[in-house]
Amino acid sequence: MTATADERDPTNLDDAADTRGVPKASLVTRWLASGGTWVLLLDVALVIVFTALSSNHVFWSLQDFQALMLDGTETLLLALGIAMFLGAGAIDISVGSNLVLSSVLGAEVMAHVAGTADAKGNYPHVLGTLALGFAVCIVAGVVYGMVNGLIIAYFRVNSLIATLGTAGVGTGIALLITGGNDIAGLPTAIQSDFGLFTAGPIPLPALVALAIGVGLWVVLRTTRYGVRTLAIGSLRLAAERAGLRVPRHLFSLAVLCGLLAGIAGFVDLSHFASTTVNGHTNDALAAITAVVIGGTRLEGGKVSLPGTLWGTGLSVVLQGGLVVIGVAPFWQLIAVGTVLIVAVCLDRVRFRRRAAG
Amino acid sequence: MTGGTDLPRTAIAGEHLAKRFGHVRALIDASVTVRPGEVVALFGDNGAGKSTLLKILLGIHRPDNGTLIVADQEVRPHSIREVQELGVDCVHQDLALAPDLSVVDNMYLGHEIVRKGLMGRLGVVARREMTARADAALRELSIKLPSLSVPVSDLSGGQRQAVAVARAVMWSRTSVLMDEPTAALGARQSAIVCELMRTVASRGLGVLVVSHDLPRVLKVADRVSVLWRGRTALEEPAGNLTVPDVVAAMVGYNAEAS
Repeated sequence: MTATADERDPTNLDDAADTRGVPKASLVTRWLASGGTWVLLLDVALVIVFTALSSNHVFWSLQDFQALMLDGTETLLLALGIAMFLGAGAIDISVGSNLVLSSVLGAEVMAHVAGTADAKGNYPHVLGTLALGFAVCIVAGVVYGMVNGLIIAYFRVNSLIATLGTAGVGTGIALLITGGNDIAGLPTAIQSDFGLFTAGPIPLPALVALAIGVGLWVVLRTTRYGVRTLAIGSLRLAAERAGLRVPRHLFSLAVLCGLLAGIAGFVDLSHFASTTVNGHTNDALAAITAVVIGGTRLEGGKVSLPGTLWGTGLSVVLQGGLVVIGVAPFWQLIAVGTVLIVAVCLDRVRFRRRAAG
Repeated sequence: MTGGTDLPRTAIAGEHLAKRFGHVRALIDASVTVRPGEVVALFGDNGAGKSTLLKILLGIHRPDNGTLIVADQEVRPHSIREVQELGVDCVHQDLALAPDLSVVDNMYLGHEIVRKGLMGRLGVVARREMTARADAALRELSIKLPSLSVPVSDLSGGQRQAVAVARAVMWSRTSVLMDEPTAALGARQSAIVCELMRTVASRGLGVLVVSHDLPRVLKVADRVSVLWRGRTALEEPAGNLTVPDVVAAMVGYNAEAS
């Protein structure tokens, strides 16, 4: 196909030594070229802009950052699951519904076992109650994920359709259980000991989400599981031909999404000490937006978990910043939507250039 | 990669295979035998049943009739994985590699080497060791690549096919099946892949090649098997045959004449 190789190495039979496959670029170059990096730079720029614009630079304050981190925690947890699943070429848009259902079930159980508060507002066996609530949230999230996984992996239903369906069912069940009213009055220890507890300057839930993110990054980059996830998303047929158990793998990823949504459900409870059954209709979209802005490819095979973090940061910073400078926060929706479109357009251009080259 | 002394007599074979899909009789009575160290070419016109035969040998389809032999043992595989465990691997025409994965990760996909100890139990791969071994395997086949850590999508078509061949050779102990390995390649790169077939066979593996590239494959093959409308129409040493002979068998001239 090329003539250059013949001139370079006439003794060897193979022009497989042609140099169209260029050597790997340096770490810095790759980092700068990766889709997520410019989102981080955008985040930093926005923080600077909002700090400059806010009166007395109140945006640059610890409380503000803590509030932002808390707001972003749930989105980040959902986004991490979606990013991993997208790596294998499937998507879960039922995570918001899963979050609500898990939190409702956890809250129901906690409300039943918490007993009544004494005169000082202290509940008996608080710790047991919280632990049980956490366990219920997780189990509910995992079971939800298993249902998704069963439909997607073994019945081979398109993941978008499958999770669109289960999202409706999950939300419906949550509303049936609660009658549409939030379950409030959970032990306040859930806030003081977890939701609003800070380890150093960082809220504990945000720390948990970040730790999970780092863990998943290690899994994706260094383990067999990560390689296989990306292989399935890159070309499912190749993965099947390599003898991978693709359905089982997809199932496990759906369960992972569910698990993270379950954890997010508990975080939600710990934030307000009550459920918010009507507050999560846009969660899945926000999470998908964060993932895609961060440079994860919708078709699978390419995942950026740092990018997912920056993408989550973008929507949170915009939301908080616009409030601080006194602009109607509805602009946040417009801004994030615009960034999403730009990000996807840029990705398409890159993809086409590569395909053509 | 079996030792030279205790090679089986048959690397892989299918005898009197028949397969029907609904109303279509894809195979009626097809046989092919590949011995260790030999390259067998499987020719046939479109619809003659080549792919079906290959898929039966790979365990993707189960035959309605006939027997399958791997390393002298009669087998009844239910999946591609079972066949791979018997030491058979396949080079597909295309779509054989995951384009976003590196050369190393592709070569070890499904066979990843994990680190020792706890890290290994957590499934952490030993990329350095995999890279070293993949590099050695590619060198043995005289395949040169600029880097093993670039994604496969950054390689040229010939390089990709070479990686696919190397991958199959790495994991096969009895035989390598090749489905149109040169179809997407230029002349020079096809020559490389044909050369690879001989290299692979010289290591004691049986090589079965399905191809439309008659002149080139005829030159490297030891024996030729021709399918015509689901039946084996011709089985001969390649040395006795010319391209017109093969074409005649492919279009059923022999069968109709007899």
